Amino acid sequence: MLLFRSEAHVDRWLAGREPGATIPITKLAELAAAWWQDRLSPDWQPRSREQSQAILDRLGLTGDFWRLG
Amino acid sequence: MERADIDLRNATYQRFVELGRAPTAAEVGATIGVGEDGVRAGWRRLHDAHALVLDDAGDIRMANPFAARPTDFRVEAGRRTWYANCAWDAFGIGAALHADSRFETHCPDCQDRIEISVHDGRPDDASPVFHVLVPAARWWSDIGFT
Repeated sequence: MLLFRSEAHVDRWLAGREPGATIPITKLAELAAAWWQDRLSPDWQPRSREQSQAILDRLGLTGDFWRLG
Repeated sequence: MERADIDLRNATYQRFVELGRAPTAAEVGATIGVGEDGVRAGWRRLHDAHALVLDDAGDIRMANPFAARPTDFRVEAGRRTWYANCAWDAFGIGAALHADSRFETHCPDCQDRIEISVHDGRPDDASPVFHVLVPAARWWSDIGFT
């Protein structure tokens, strides 16, 4: 889960390996806010897989790659 | 998850924030009035529930988004610093603290330094991209690599 200068840098780093998923840093910021915002709340409760999947879905991170195990 | 384990988990996170590093079992135990063995047993249950990650010695390795070990994601918020486990977590520390933050890392390809300031949840530089190599279904198979 790394940050690259650009997609061209990702391609060069992969060097022919199977790519994963690349998203804009702005989408990552949205994802992090949704995923971690309750992490320090005294009312924190463990999240179900379905709840976590709903966060990904809501941000358009869909398809087999983003399907939680 | 039992209430006592949630309380232990919350105390662990709180101490992590306050100390700027992973707390020891003794430090957390002193906060909630539980012995070190009780803390370690609770941490193991939380580890099994994916609520935090222990190392081989049973100490805190990750309380996501916070990392116990130095990484290439150093995060600053409110004049304090922590390490994050990955780029996602680097944004996550500011999100969890509900604070503006700043972090630096390096492009794995060219090794150039990447510095990001986050204000109101938005990065000041929209040009970098985030790459996830491992599909979501396997994130917990090797959380250290992920």
